[in-house]
Amino acid sequence: MKESNRPILEVKGLKTHFTTKRGVSKAVDGIDFTLHKGETLGIVGESGCGKSMTSLSILRLIPSPPGKIAGGSVLFKGRDLVTMPEDEMRKIRGNEISMIFQEPMTSLNPVIPVGEQIAEALRLHQKMGKKAAWDKSVDMLKMVGIPSPDKRAKQEPFQLSGGMRQRVMIAMALACTPEVLIADEPTTALDVTIQAQILELIKELQTKIGMGVIMITHDLGVVAETCDKVAVMYAGNIVEHASTEQIFADPKHPYTQGLLNSLPKIHEDQEELITIDGSVPSPYNMPGGCRFASRCPYAEDICAAHQPDLVSYSEDIKVRCWKYTDKWTGKRDKEGVV
Amino acid sequence: MLMFILRRILQTIPVIIGVTFVVFFIMQLVPGDPAVLLAGEGASKETIEAIRDQLGLNQPLYIQYFEYLTSVFKGDLGVSLKNSQPVLDEILVRLPITIELAFFSIIITIVLGMAAGIISAVKPYSLTDVSVMLVALLGISLPSFWFGLMLMYFFSVKLQILPVAGWDSLLHVILPAITLGAGGAAIVARMTRSSMLEVIRQDYIRTARAKGLRERIIIYKHALRNALIPVITVVGLQFGALLGGTVLVESIFAINGLGRMIVDAIRMRDLPMVQGGVLFASLIFVVVNLFVDVFYRFFNKRIELN
Repeated sequence: MKESNRPILEVKGLKTHFTTKRGVSKAVDGIDFTLHKGETLGIVGESGCGKSMTSLSILRLIPSPPGKIAGGSVLFKGRDLVTMPEDEMRKIRGNEISMIFQEPMTSLNPVIPVGEQIAEALRLHQKMGKKAAWDKSVDMLKMVGIPSPDKRAKQEPFQLSGGMRQRVMIAMALACTPEVLIADEPTTALDVTIQAQILELIKELQTKIGMGVIMITHDLGVVAETCDKVAVMYAGNIVEHASTEQIFADPKHPYTQGLLNSLPKIHEDQEELITIDGSVPSPYNMPGGCRFASRCPYAEDICAAHQPDLVSYSEDIKVRCWKYTDKWTGKRDKEGVV
Repeated sequence: MLMFILRRILQTIPVIIGVTFVVFFIMQLVPGDPAVLLAGEGASKETIEAIRDQLGLNQPLYIQYFEYLTSVFKGDLGVSLKNSQPVLDEILVRLPITIELAFFSIIITIVLGMAAGIISAVKPYSLTDVSVMLVALLGISLPSFWFGLMLMYFFSVKLQILPVAGWDSLLHVILPAITLGAGGAAIVARMTRSSMLEVIRQDYIRTARAKGLRERIIIYKHALRNALIPVITVVGLQFGALLGGTVLVESIFAINGLGRMIVDAIRMRDLPMVQGGVLFASLIFVVVNLFVDVFYRFFNKRIELN
């Protein structure tokens, strides 16, 4: 493989488990993906499917106890973040890999001026002096489009609107020009016009800095607008991994199909919204077979009995479903059930 | 900020007037006639009447109150019934002693309490945490008169390293200040711990971690400032309890402070003295509350004075 083609981030078999009184919850149960420089990977799935835990696991920010990375590796520029000593890990956090969180209202420290919250990362990682770091943080605020940044930098978060706070978060995350940005539902808490602005901003800065972005979201609209490729998660697993065009044009996994099907269609006269029947299995009591089997319209005997692997369907499509293997009988198709 | 302090100071004026009102009328409820008391046993009706006239005790209450108020603002708190000395002079001798005692006690409350709370919160449910909290529980439960006597017994009588009683040097301050500050320290420790544990779970602490900050900076810069907001309130309240405690502690350690003065005055039915003492104790409390509010505002700029 050519040097430039080597992924900047490579997640292999990552497992994050939570041990509680109710038992072991396998929030992330063996996921794999890669991210290249300048690329945007979307991780989608419904609430509780493990997408936020995946992102927190990459930076080792899982609340522990009860959480623990139970296996797998996260290779960043060839080094494994899972086994790295804590003080080296700290040098990567906020410096080479940054994160934007879902809740701009609560993710900033309420009693520290926002400029200082950006500047402290610069002083820490870039060894900047007080004045230089402050000036840079004002520059960052300007870059993310905050008007009168020198005045805003001295204000505390409560004096800023939600959209502005998220811009501050982005400025903070990008201050040290990271190589990877993990955006965990960056626009969920914002209203639609601000949402578009923030996504635009992330995209714009991405081309400027050339970083890889992991966009975690449950919003397929966000995926369509921003991502190059998509990993669909269900119950702690990746069930489908393909390019964005591919996912929207021809989804393979029944769950992805269900997700896209449940989007309201603007040009059709729909009486009722389409849903996926059933519910997500409890993370404490995962079924032995395919985790989607009980909700799947195509499920055969093998689905409930054995968990399928994530296998290549074509060069850029991977799917975790028996339907695309030679074990599939297609019995129900023939019987005309589906 | 300056506007805030100024407005907050102006707000204390009605409070102070309210204090004089309460102090004055409570004294009216105390059984016994000061004129009879002053005249002594077996005095004639005429003498009592003359004294009453002289002190203005036969005037309607609201006039008496008004006269009391004007003389208070002129700095005249009347004379002691016991030794005919001006009350204010006596208070000014005693007040610095009580303030010194209260100051050292509140320092112990704050420093010991917060340190213990932080140590506990950094490693919750560890052996350190459990032991610190157990000591804190003891600190809350032990009555100060017993605790003071025990300290006195060990450090002054047995080990003979600290003076038993009195108020001559800094060494004399140690035991009374510990006695008075311990209970508050225990409460502050528990409050700091729970407040820290609450704050450590917040999203912005996760943000600070994601930034790559050291655990020390996360605790002292990002968590503590937020955790202290409720603790400051508790410290302010503790100061009130502490002032009440000076009465006991000054009696135990034979310290001639304001608290002991009030107790003695009550025993002697020296009403002007009691009145003056209570008034000053209340004033200290008002001033301390003022400071607490200013600190509170400093730590949490979201507080607006409406």
